[in-house]
Amino acid sequence: MAGNEKAMLDRRQALECMVWAGAGIIWTVAGGVPTSRLIGEAKAGETGFSFVQISDSHIGFSKPANPDARGTLKEAIDKILAIPNKPAFMIHTGDITHTAMPAQFDDAMQLIGGAGLEVHYAPGEHDILDAATNKAYLERFGKGATGGGWYSFDQAGVHFVSLVNVVDLKKNGLGYLGPDQLAWLDDDLRGKSNSTPIVVFSHIPLWMIAPEWGWGTADSAQALQLLARFGSVTVLNGHIHQLMQKVEGAVTFHTARSTAFPQPAPGTAPAPGPRLVPAGELGKFLGIAEVTYASTTSPLAIVDSALAQ
Amino acid sequence: MKTRTRLICIANVAALLLAAAPPVRAEGDADRGEALYQGCQDCHSLDKNDVGPRHRGVFGRRAGSLPDYPYSEGLKQSGIVWDEASLDKWLSDPQALVPDAKMFYHLSQAQDRADVIAFLKERAR
Repeated sequence: MAGNEKAMLDRRQALECMVWAGAGIIWTVAGGVPTSRLIGEAKAGETGFSFVQISDSHIGFSKPANPDARGTLKEAIDKILAIPNKPAFMIHTGDITHTAMPAQFDDAMQLIGGAGLEVHYAPGEHDILDAATNKAYLERFGKGATGGGWYSFDQAGVHFVSLVNVVDLKKNGLGYLGPDQLAWLDDDLRGKSNSTPIVVFSHIPLWMIAPEWGWGTADSAQALQLLARFGSVTVLNGHIHQLMQKVEGAVTFHTARSTAFPQPAPGTAPAPGPRLVPAGELGKFLGIAEVTYASTTSPLAIVDSALAQ
Repeated sequence: MKTRTRLICIANVAALLLAAAPPVRAEGDADRGEALYQGCQDCHSLDKNDVGPRHRGVFGRRAGSLPDYPYSEGLKQSGIVWDEASLDKWLSDPQALVPDAKMFYHLSQAQDRADVIAFLKERAR
């Protein structure tokens, strides 16, 4: 029993270590099926196109969990630059900054710009703290967006939708889309055939991971209902600073790591928040974990290989 | 009839006494509270305003009183002074205590709350 427990802890620790301080996720879309793998594991000879997701860079954060959020974001960008087949673009799923200050946005965008990719952003609740920062965010990122900053675009037959669920947060900090955005989504999807691959991204997860920690979106069920007729839907989120994935019918939900600091897995701490990793252990953690993703007949399936021997 | 009246009086007095009695709170462990405070640092620190206000000196302070932090109106007008009892309520569910509060982070376990409060009281002076 004790041995099993240790093995489980080792595996969990390995997962936690793997997920927090690495770079990002590279997604490849071939035949309408998005597949993903950790950056650094990209293989040559891929077909289709790929894009990169990073999240929760928290520029401006400088506390024990990571005194150098700029440095780890830079590390993430360097890893993106090292990808052999240049991704088509990047998405950032929010908490670009820590306290939504203009200088933090400037700094983040300069660092992210180093990747030389077009970047599509979705805001986090650290990027929009109040009415003033909401206005500033829309002035900076809102070109081509509607309402509160939501927008869509197409790439090689795949329809991408960026949603905003960090304004008017609900109980325990649950995300909220609101009726205006849901009406827009309904309209945006109306002309699309059921076979159009859809990728939806927003900051707070669109599935209920841990409602007691606010890790979910109060009205996401209405959005998912609008997406239900599509054969391939991939939902990409951040916010929880760890990898989690769920496949439900034709919908694959995926949360990304942070480039700044880890958070505890639900149920392993009294509350969410930055998690301190012992000094000096980061490099070891980065080096030891590996996840392999493989597509199957499902829209997206992930198989994790042995993580801790 | 007299006996019944007396019984009702005794019950009322007991109810008043119960209502007036301070709630039993767990003893706080400041060391553990300091470790738990790590999780608060998504929004707070001791000496700088962040997403939330700085915490140095919060124990004994009037809620919403730092001049350089944009509190919600409700918190500014609440009249709350931060002590063990008010912090315990706040950390249980901030928006239940002050409906327009910005904070939604909470600690559901009484011991966790007591430990964080002990840390703030003893080490964030």
